[in-house]
Amino acid sequence: MKKKLSFATAILIYIMFYIFIAMSALEKNIDFSAYQRYYKVILNGWFTTIAISLVALVMAIFVGLILYLMRESRFAVLYYFSEIHKTIIFGTPLVVIAIIAYYYIGNAFNVNSKFWVGAITLALYIGAYIADIYKGAVEAIHVNQWQTAKMFGFTRYQTYRYVVFPQVITGILPPLAGQFTMTIKSSALLAYMATDEFLNTIKTVQSISYRYPEGFIIVTTGYLILTVPLIMLVRMLEKKLNYKV
Amino acid sequence: MRLKIRNLKKCYDQKGIIENLSLEVDDIQVLSLIGASGSGKSTLLRLIAGLEAFEAGSIEVNGHNVIESEAVEYRKKVGFVFQDHNLFSHLSIFENIMLVLEKVHHRKRSEVEPEVKKLLEQFGLMEHAGKLPHQISGGQSQRASIVRALSIRPELILLDEPTSSLDPILTYEVLSAVKLLAEDRIDFIIVTHEIGFAKSVADYIVFMEDGKIIEQGDRGILEAPQSPELKRFLGKVLTFDGGSNVNSL
Repeated sequence: MKKKLSFATAILIYIMFYIFIAMSALEKNIDFSAYQRYYKVILNGWFTTIAISLVALVMAIFVGLILYLMRESRFAVLYYFSEIHKTIIFGTPLVVIAIIAYYYIGNAFNVNSKFWVGAITLALYIGAYIADIYKGAVEAIHVNQWQTAKMFGFTRYQTYRYVVFPQVITGILPPLAGQFTMTIKSSALLAYMATDEFLNTIKTVQSISYRYPEGFIIVTTGYLILTVPLIMLVRMLEKKLNYKV
Repeated sequence: MRLKIRNLKKCYDQKGIIENLSLEVDDIQVLSLIGASGSGKSTLLRLIAGLEAFEAGSIEVNGHNVIESEAVEYRKKVGFVFQDHNLFSHLSIFENIMLVLEKVHHRKRSEVEPEVKKLLEQFGLMEHAGKLPHQISGGQSQRASIVRALSIRPELILLDEPTSSLDPILTYEVLSAVKLLAEDRIDFIIVTHEIGFAKSVADYIVFMEDGKIIEQGDRGILEAPQSPELKRFLGKVLTFDGGSNVNSL
């Protein structure tokens, strides 16, 4: 009970702070009419954000796996290919990658769909982080699990299939859910390549109506509606899957 | 069991762990490897299991020439109980056993289920069969590990200090389970610090120090040790072993 009360108090303080900031930014009364008028476009942008993030995450799971397998490969070229990709990604802001991807790489490969260039860019970006999640999860498997599999006569494939993989899956679920949150947030940067996702549609309405603070209220709330359940899912998974060796 | 080890040499980082070790025993059911920590007994056991490669010499177990890189089929005939049970942490006790039988030994689930249940019953684990390894005690995990090793109907079971991380009560529990193996006439080699236990079950005892066999023979060597090293070792161990309940096993 005490915990719930403390939580409610903290939330209330945050909401009050949020309202205070919003109110002090508003010149006149709060007015969402422009946003009501364009709600279909905004909703469309919100769904585009969900779709682009989902598609990007699914692709990133495979990109990450490919990068991880390349890193573990016996062929040094593949190892370095993976490492160079990760270094570039880790060292460059997503917004810069997004702009280059759209204006130059997409153009070079004749890909004109903003949605697909955006999704692929995000997948290549998030995939680099996911590759490290795989690496961490496999390394976290205790040496005795490998040893036992060897002792009992498991083949390499059987060891991965029945011993390593099931443990890796439970190990990567919480960080993967976390990466999905990251993907949704990062997708906002695709506004810079004029993808019609959530932030970009809000920015468009803002520039038409000049009602900027209202737009930011909607955009923050819209992202939180998507990310808060995911953050809660991560916490729940971490608690549930936290078994000891 | 028949065990023939000739001029065995094993190094880690160019440091000799086992040096020119030879051992030959025949028609032995329970062999106990004893010695202080770092004496090389666990390494020797792992070499006998075909888990690690060695630099020189040869190991022959029941006619199998043990070479790590070619020991896949040999290892399937040997049960191993690790120091820390090494159960697969994502599987229940029952599934830990079934996985090995189904996937490695290609046995039908319906055929082996009654056998496995009988073993779990025998080792007092039936009520824990559905639990994950972290949900049961260290002693129960170690007994489950013994059942897993036993379930493959091995020619030989190797036990690497199965009680080293357990308190005296759990040690008693696990050693009682190991004693069941002896009573069932199953051949096994056990690395142990429990001298009282070695004395009560082993047919043959090998005492090691610094990667060498110092003394070997039947239980008598524990009553009347010949080498100063074994005398010193027993002197130290038995000083604290007087009240241990494993002597009464």
